[in-house]
Amino acid sequence: MTRSLRSGLVALALILAAFGALKATAAADDPATIVKGAIDYWRDVTSYTVVEMTVHRPDWERASLMRAWTRGEKDSLVRFVKPARDAGSATLKVGDDMWIFSPKLNRVIKLPFSMMAQSWMGSDFSYNDLAKSDQIIHNFTHRLVKTDKQDGHAVYVIESTPLPNAPVIWGKERLRIRDDHLLLEETFFDQDGKPVKRLSAVKIGRLGGKVYVTSMRMEKLDEADHWTEITYRKASFGLSLPDAVFTLSNLRNPRPGWERP
Amino acid sequence: MARLALLLRLARRSVLRNRRRTLIILVAISVALWAMIFFAALTRGWENDVVHNAIFTLTGHLQVHAPGYRDDPSVDHSMKPPNATVAQLLAGTEVAAWGTRVRVPAVVMSEHDTAGVTLVGIDPAAERGLSFIADAVHTGRYLDSPDDRGILIGRALADRLGTGVGKRVVVMSQAADHSVADRGFRVVGLFEGDREATEMAYVFVGRRTAMTMLKLGSRVSELAVMLRDRRQLPAFLARLRTAASGLDVQPWTTLEPMAQAMVALGQAWIWMFFVVMYVAMAFGLVNTMLMAVMERTREFGMLQALGMRPRLILIQVVFESCFLLAAGAAAGIGLAAGTLSLLHGGINLSILAQGAEMWGMGKVIYPAAAVVDVIGATALVVVLGVFSSLYPAWRAARRVPIEAITRN
Repeated sequence: MTRSLRSGLVALALILAAFGALKATAAADDPATIVKGAIDYWRDVTSYTVVEMTVHRPDWERASLMRAWTRGEKDSLVRFVKPARDAGSATLKVGDDMWIFSPKLNRVIKLPFSMMAQSWMGSDFSYNDLAKSDQIIHNFTHRLVKTDKQDGHAVYVIESTPLPNAPVIWGKERLRIRDDHLLLEETFFDQDGKPVKRLSAVKIGRLGGKVYVTSMRMEKLDEADHWTEITYRKASFGLSLPDAVFTLSNLRNPRPGWERP
Repeated sequence: MARLALLLRLARRSVLRNRRRTLIILVAISVALWAMIFFAALTRGWENDVVHNAIFTLTGHLQVHAPGYRDDPSVDHSMKPPNATVAQLLAGTEVAAWGTRVRVPAVVMSEHDTAGVTLVGIDPAAERGLSFIADAVHTGRYLDSPDDRGILIGRALADRLGTGVGKRVVVMSQAADHSVADRGFRVVGLFEGDREATEMAYVFVGRRTAMTMLKLGSRVSELAVMLRDRRQLPAFLARLRTAASGLDVQPWTTLEPMAQAMVALGQAWIWMFFVVMYVAMAFGLVNTMLMAVMERTREFGMLQALGMRPRLILIQVVFESCFLLAAGAAAGIGLAAGTLSLLHGGINLSILAQGAEMWGMGKVIYPAAAVVDVIGATALVVVLGVFSSLYPAWRAARRVPIEAITRN
């Protein structure tokens, strides 16, 4: 083998290696991957959380406590513990269907499409916000606008535009995602480019063995002093939750357990 | 005969003798008749409007649905598109327009608000002549084809949702498999309805787009048919019922019972008004004639003394009433014709639109005089007017000459 051929091969190998490295960075910076990473980190494979929800209005405030189980992108079960008035009320989502259970009526109701836009338990979240928690992954195209530095972390600012016929009312959404997969902020814009509501991280801490946004707030930007804050009190991730958790039977007659790994 | 001619001359003279009295009674009769005709025309205009609106607001002259759809207009009650026998009937000469639609309850959402509506999937070309929508687009464009991916919404709904042409709204409904069907649509046009309720109630999309969204396959919700002439409805209905056996075939009168009830109400209303107006006018007529007769006590006494039979006096007074009634009726009809021709362009009710809508009225009402009402009102006034003048005539005929002459 001649010298020139050998050096040529080395050069080729180097170029290929450089390409490989370039591709790797491209993948890390791919906005769709960042978004999916953040949602997956937030929901984990499965999770059990104890959550406090505060609904704030200019003239009143109400706090409630609930327990929630999630599995994958689609399935979740939320059961209210406090206040006594709402205790036992639960919402189950399996795939794209939702049911609500009210202990007072002792009935399970499959949520009709006409109620999807209504407020969930009087909060600033709608049933749609719950039902379409994975919508940001599937119905948008993402564009990395810039990368900020904050507290020693890189923060990706991503602008997400809905696909043409996607069932999304927003003109666009702007996400701020930290390089350790924390979703710091999600702003919803109307179609004139005016921000309408914003979900933002209030507190970051360690929870269930990982760094997590432990408190976040949803606020309506056109109505001052209207917000809902969600604070995680307890969390465990990666539980092995049986199918029985996400069933109508468990919605109506809660079984104990499934709270620890 | 000569006697009758004499009586006619006497009657004509006495009518013309007291001009003021004659004028007053003429005004009373003509105003009464004018009010009757005008009111009837207004009511007929309102009836026409209610019927026109009922038919053109997506009803047509008749509709075919799956059994159960009328009680529960959901995706569950959909039907196959028209079969060969029905299609052959629809190609007949009496059919002016027909189209199939998807029509289900839905929710439309914008960034700011949510509204419950009826989602209608249409064949844009088929709707021409079948419903109002083809000519109702106010801004933007009409749908181009059943596959059009845009949506048409009412102007009032757009205001409520804070959206407009070029923006996106999300429509949610129930799919045939009972899952939630949702999809984003770009608003391509805003339509203006005759009533605000229509603008709020319906949103229109391409029929095939709706079928895909609702996972309906080739199934549709309804078939609407417009005939060339409403009078052909019963015969056509019977034939269509045979052709489309197993389906629910109904005329507009069943589909829009409210419109039908409004028409019946309008009819009754016209006659009630006629009777009230007639009674008011009749009292005026009787009173005036009675006064006329009283004033002429001496005259009648004199005529009787000269040998005129009481029966002839009675006939003379009735003739006088006839003259007055005929002249008054002619003036009344003339007055009504004049008023109606002035209001030919319709009466704009938009200042009271919301109140008027409660009564099923549109923004503009076009008075429509019906020949039957004009004849009815005139006949009522003249015939019954003659009858009511019998009493004063009878009083006049009963004057005993000696009493008449010695009085005063």
